[in-house]
Amino acid sequence: MELLVCIKQVPDDSVSVGLNADGTPKLDEITPVVNAFDTYALEMAARFKEAHGGSVTVLTVGGEGAVPALRSCLAVGADRACRLADESACDPQGIAYLLAQASKKAGEQPFDVIFCGSESTDASSAQVGAQVAELLGLPVITNVLALEPKDGGISAKQETEDGYRVVEASCPCVVTIVKPDYEPRYPSIKSKMAARKMPITDLSLADVEADAGKFGPEAAKVRRVALSAPPQRQSGVKIQEKEAAEAVRRAMELMAGQKLI
Amino acid sequence: MEKQTILVYLETAEDQVIKVSLEALNAARQLAAKTGKNVTAVLIGSAAAAGAAAAYGADEVVHVAADSYQADRYTEILTALYQRAEASALLLGSGRDGKELAARVAARVGAGCVTDAMALAEDGSWVRSVYGGSLQESVDAGVGAVVTVRSGTFGKPEETAGRTVPVTEETVENSELKAVIKEAVQELSESVNLEDAEVIVAGGRGMGSAENFQLVRDLAELLGGVVGASRPAIEDGWVPRNHQVGQSGKIVAPKLYIACGISGAMQHVSGMSGSGYIVAINKDEDAPIFDVADVGIVGNVMDILPLMIEEIKARKS
Repeated sequence: MELLVCIKQVPDDSVSVGLNADGTPKLDEITPVVNAFDTYALEMAARFKEAHGGSVTVLTVGGEGAVPALRSCLAVGADRACRLADESACDPQGIAYLLAQASKKAGEQPFDVIFCGSESTDASSAQVGAQVAELLGLPVITNVLALEPKDGGISAKQETEDGYRVVEASCPCVVTIVKPDYEPRYPSIKSKMAARKMPITDLSLADVEADAGKFGPEAAKVRRVALSAPPQRQSGVKIQEKEAAEAVRRAMELMAGQKLI
Repeated sequence: MEKQTILVYLETAEDQVIKVSLEALNAARQLAAKTGKNVTAVLIGSAAAAGAAAAYGADEVVHVAADSYQADRYTEILTALYQRAEASALLLGSGRDGKELAARVAARVGAGCVTDAMALAEDGSWVRSVYGGSLQESVDAGVGAVVTVRSGTFGKPEETAGRTVPVTEETVENSELKAVIKEAVQELSESVNLEDAEVIVAGGRGMGSAENFQLVRDLAELLGGVVGASRPAIEDGWVPRNHQVGQSGKIVAPKLYIACGISGAMQHVSGMSGSGYIVAINKDEDAPIFDVADVGIVGNVMDILPLMIEEIKARKS
């Protein structure tokens, strides 16, 4: 099957983000990485291809700065990479629109399955995959833990609040991926070298016939009006004792003083 | 004409409105109080929770009969109700299904969609967490926004027992399902109420093993509390995922939170920093969890926890 994986470059999510004086997020010193959920999506697509044949294309929307993210995907299972050149500030539906448009042009053949991470670690909107499906009129299965081909379509294991569901859809379809019980593969020196030489297809807004009224800051239905740091707690007493018993005794006294035990 | 109706979808389990949907109803009531609109609760499938919807403050209930959950079908129903009511907002609880329904309905009706709202600001914008909880944004999603409400943020609405409101039956035409739910399997039988807990004892990677994690359970039981966990402990399979506290789990605010072997990644801290009193045990004296702890014990959880359990037993007897 022909598989497409939509990826987003995000700031390293192990780093806390501060505020600039103008109220924008302070991101310039944080390493950009591929969104963790998208790496799970890529790994699942790569395994699917290895088991059942086909090819894996990664797609992102962004400026030149997004190229390293695509390269890193080419080193861990993607066969082809494609970038829609646009850096306008979009809300989730704006991005979904651009991805949906680009998905029609990103491959030599139409895609059978479009993979998206279930959410991004920066904006955490968890909307884009489902909205890509809505815009393309395709079936969607969200929060997928595993999938396999079935009767020309796919069968997926969907994570739920208290277990899982088995969901089936015909192809083409969209799936959004949560963390499965395995980790994405690491690149090797050889795969990194190879990725460096692989071509990346650049698409323009004109190539994907993007309607300017459907993306970008003017079209955004959700607009940020303020950004702030959450209230910070003050730290209290730190107990460092050689004897664990003494540390526990002191902690218990403090807790008892607050009538907590 | 100005739009008058705030719709709130109440998800039910065994005829009971689930907790996060009650929080969405509370958010709808807050929005109604601010804007002078009415709150219409939507029940799909069983109408048995209509009484609860009234008691918790809905002004009206709309019921649509449906078979067991199919995301496509529920998307279609909510879209139709939204359009018929010309809704001024649609609120849902922020579970996995709620988020999918919200994103899809918003795309169909052309409305803005806000995920995981934590508060309704004075100016009518919705407050939500971004960058793993390190920052909070306020967003304006305009009239007609579709909003999911994060669990543990708005709380349950006030209840007026015996209150009754009109219940309207509606039908929505069935289209063919594109994705079909064939089977639903329940794996986690025990329900975990972290949001209402007064005491939470939570464990992280520093607990070291599933066996050691038992100490977290023992201490929680002794204090009449609930067991929480950070993501690594869940991923290592020491405790089921419905115990997760933090960005991808629950937001909690117990009187007492004891963090055992939790380093304090912001994704965890953002879910528990509203706790009344935080005790942290970690062998790494530089662990960020100590920055939010009222009492930090630098030490090995395997030395500290057994002594703490003994001490509490002694104090109790």
